[in-house]
Amino acid sequence: MQTKIRALALGAFMSVAGSAALAATECIAPANPGGGWDFTCRQIGKILYDIGQVDSPVQVTNMAGGGGGLAYSHVVNERGDDNNLIVAASQATATRLAQNAYAGMTADQVRFVGAIGADPGVIVVAADSPFMSLGDMVDAIKSDPGSVAFGGGSAAGGFDHLKVLMVLKEAGFTDITKVKYIGLDGGGDAITQTIGGFTQGMTGDMSEIVGFLQSGEVRALAVLTEERVPGFEDIPTAVEQGFDVVAVNWRGLYVPKGISDADFEAWGARLQAVADSQEWKDAMVANGLAPFTKVGGDFQSWVDGVIADTVELSKEIGVIQ
Amino acid sequence: MKLSDRLFGVVVILGALAYTAGAFQIQASFMSDPVGSKTFPLILAGVATICGLVFLFRPDDDPKWPGRLTLGNIVIAVLVMVAYAHALKPLGFLMPTAVCAAILSFQISPRPLPAAITGLGLSIGLFLIFKYALGLGLQPVPKAWLG
Amino acid sequence: MELLSNLALGFSVALTPFTLFLAVAGCFLGTIIGALPGLGPSNGVAILIPLAFSLGLDATSALVLMTAVYYGAMYGGRISSILLNIPGDEPALMTTLDGYPMAKAGRAGDALVLSGFASFFGALFATIGLMLLAPLLSRIAYQFGPSEYFALYLLAFSTLGGIASKNQAKAALASCMGLGIAMIGLDNQTGMPRFTGGNLHLMDGVDFLVAIVGLFAVAEVFVFIESHGRESSIGVRLGKVTLPVRDLAKGIGTMLRSSVIGFIAGVLPGAGASLGSFLAYMGEKNVQGERGGFGTGVPKGVMAPEAGNNAAAGGALVPMLTLGVPGSGTTAVLLALLLTLNITPGPTLFTDRPDVVWGLIASLLIANFVLLAMNVPMVKIFVHILSVPAWVLLPGVMMISFVGIYSLSGSYFDLLLMIFFGIVGWIFRKLDVPTVPIILGILLGNHMEDALRRAMILSDGDWRFLFGFRWHGPSDGYEFYSAIPSSLLVLAVAGFVAPIFLRRVIKRPQAVSD
Repeated sequence: MQTKIRALALGAFMSVAGSAALAATECIAPANPGGGWDFTCRQIGKILYDIGQVDSPVQVTNMAGGGGGLAYSHVVNERGDDNNLIVAASQATATRLAQNAYAGMTADQVRFVGAIGADPGVIVVAADSPFMSLGDMVDAIKSDPGSVAFGGGSAAGGFDHLKVLMVLKEAGFTDITKVKYIGLDGGGDAITQTIGGFTQGMTGDMSEIVGFLQSGEVRALAVLTEERVPGFEDIPTAVEQGFDVVAVNWRGLYVPKGISDADFEAWGARLQAVADSQEWKDAMVANGLAPFTKVGGDFQSWVDGVIADTVELSKEIGVIQ
Repeated sequence: MKLSDRLFGVVVILGALAYTAGAFQIQASFMSDPVGSKTFPLILAGVATICGLVFLFRPDDDPKWPGRLTLGNIVIAVLVMVAYAHALKPLGFLMPTAVCAAILSFQISPRPLPAAITGLGLSIGLFLIFKYALGLGLQPVPKAWLG
Repeated sequence: MELLSNLALGFSVALTPFTLFLAVAGCFLGTIIGALPGLGPSNGVAILIPLAFSLGLDATSALVLMTAVYYGAMYGGRISSILLNIPGDEPALMTTLDGYPMAKAGRAGDALVLSGFASFFGALFATIGLMLLAPLLSRIAYQFGPSEYFALYLLAFSTLGGIASKNQAKAALASCMGLGIAMIGLDNQTGMPRFTGGNLHLMDGVDFLVAIVGLFAVAEVFVFIESHGRESSIGVRLGKVTLPVRDLAKGIGTMLRSSVIGFIAGVLPGAGASLGSFLAYMGEKNVQGERGGFGTGVPKGVMAPEAGNNAAAGGALVPMLTLGVPGSGTTAVLLALLLTLNITPGPTLFTDRPDVVWGLIASLLIANFVLLAMNVPMVKIFVHILSVPAWVLLPGVMMISFVGIYSLSGSYFDLLLMIFFGIVGWIFRKLDVPTVPIILGILLGNHMEDALRRAMILSDGDWRFLFGFRWHGPSDGYEFYSAIPSSLLVLAVAGFVAPIFLRRVIKRPQAVSD
């Protein structure tokens, strides 16, 4: 009986919470719950509500399919003028647009609002690895490409794989199909395989390795940013080791193409407010994200540049013709 | 006669052939691995073909298939569900659900009034539960009505 | 002593009136969500996350609510499996095999009570395991490379032959079909699409939930229409709901074995949690042998998978908390929740955030007892579902299935696919082709293929690597680096061969009496 009453109480409570959500902002995470896009939607959505930028909790919809392509086509074709809709995006969105993985859809069919954080690319080895620097690793690959296998969270040709190839290309190693790479189900898997000694290196994002760095089970050989990352000052950049490679997985949002300029700017302002909030700063530190704020028209042109670069690189490597 | 299993065997073999053809359509990638994209699917098609041959030459006894009337009922149920799947987005949740649930209910027990009540009740009740208790983003009526 | 003080810390966090209320509410909601087709634990937790935010819960309270929902859904999944032959999600799949026959025989109450106790046993075992061994167990994941995983998946499929079908070829075909469906979508190694026909909806493959709901819920409706309800459990005269003490006492060994298997399967990241109930059921089936009557509606047949899946659910928390690697769909969602709350799971979580970890463990313990107290008395209410007239119940189940699947991607395509699976399920049931292997194939297909291909990439195509040998160049030769792959492969061969021999031995005397 007790149980029943409590349940009813909760039910009533939830109806109240629910009705307030009627005109709620929707954030589409174009993947199953648990991934980076899902994190973006839930974290930004939570902060938007907490700091009062929206009146009711942001409703997160997971729309998995086509590596984000399904959500992209949904937004382009069916929600083209919905000003209450935001969609999580990241470097993976840009990479796939560049590699024409969204069935012919292009980057100019939506508007990119901004990025408010970036997950720096890292190249990691197990604590007992013989490689002490990125140079050691590159030399070993140059002398025997088969001796070093990489694990990463993306398929071959995806962003994690490209990070390694960019470093090797920079080092003058061109026989890229000889580089051993296995695609795993996410960064966590890639790191356990590396600690277990099945792969010699792991390529991924900073957020994926934070806990393992603290426990001392892995060492980061290089971080792929221009400057060292705050909080992780002892990890050298690839640039300072002589490999001019920068690869960060930015986290941000896009909105439908057809919303008014005023609405677009409103979203930019709200995102800026999130970026400036203490909550977001705490979230970034906890998750190994580096500050990286670009909002509005500035960001749109930056994304266009990234896509153009990725197209060029993918063609060079042979991922696309 | 044991016709069902033999026919099933033929369907399985044809399916496996189609799958094999599909496997050869897979585009090669710039990276190649020792096993490749095709090997695993081809092994599966091979095993499925063997299974199909087993059904063809060592079939089990026929099951009891339903009569024409019952089969018709099942076909109607399928058509109603397909229509429902297509109607859900343009027409919203309430109307298609009421109609679909009512027809299914009528098929199970052919009395119009209880079926209609079931349809209406389920449509409104489930909408309230899913929308407000679980917070799913369901749309009640066609978008145009909401202005 | 340290353990006790940690536990005390945990209970001090989890035993406030408000968190207790959250645990009870979460258990209740979870049980209902678990019982609804298409809304398993992972969807349930994902759907309720916004609720946790809108209530403004702090990290520990949010975790308490969500794990209560998680465990509740694991308990609740068995309800629709047993009563209607419709598993809400993949952990409850194996419970249909013996639970539904029991319900048809009027023993729905017994099946629910026994499985409730088995769930409690498995979950409690796993929670204690998590408490005592988590940091230690996390190291198992480091021992499992591609070869080890490949052998593990092979073991799962090798035992499939005897599952719920008299015809081994039909079980084999069903496995092939599931594995074949799993190949649809982007190839994990090359990133190229396979068997998609250019359809964007198929790029990420076929969601196993679509297949489960189609093959079970939709097919059940067709079967009902065809048989006019004669072959259904709906409306069956129900026995009185009692506590089947004797069955329970006899099943303690079953529950213990299944909990151990389930827990270990759960601890291994990579489809471990879905393997839990399956390996527990198949393992127990082999222990009981042909005389155990698995598949005909025996109490041990519902206790084994339920103890197994709840133990696996607890086990899956080990890699999630200690490695940040989700072993199942639900733990992936919980991981997302943790990250949103600025808690980074990893090797240092147990030392960095003892309040969170021990609060979680304490709330798991509480949730377990709440669920037992809630689930066993409520069996009396649950069984009344079968007294609801079919013309209300079945359309209701159908509509819930549609909404559940629709909420996955919001597209009609998944719904059409679900109807297609429904037709296939109905035909397969006529032809005595088991459908459980199809689901397992879809669940494990990609993992199995990926493991094989990763192993072959690492070893440059040297198949000896699959047996645990690593090549160290011409001077050093092969190193036998691990006995795990070979041991698992031996078990796989034994699991495949044993039922065939057992059947021969037992069949001979039977042939005379026929």
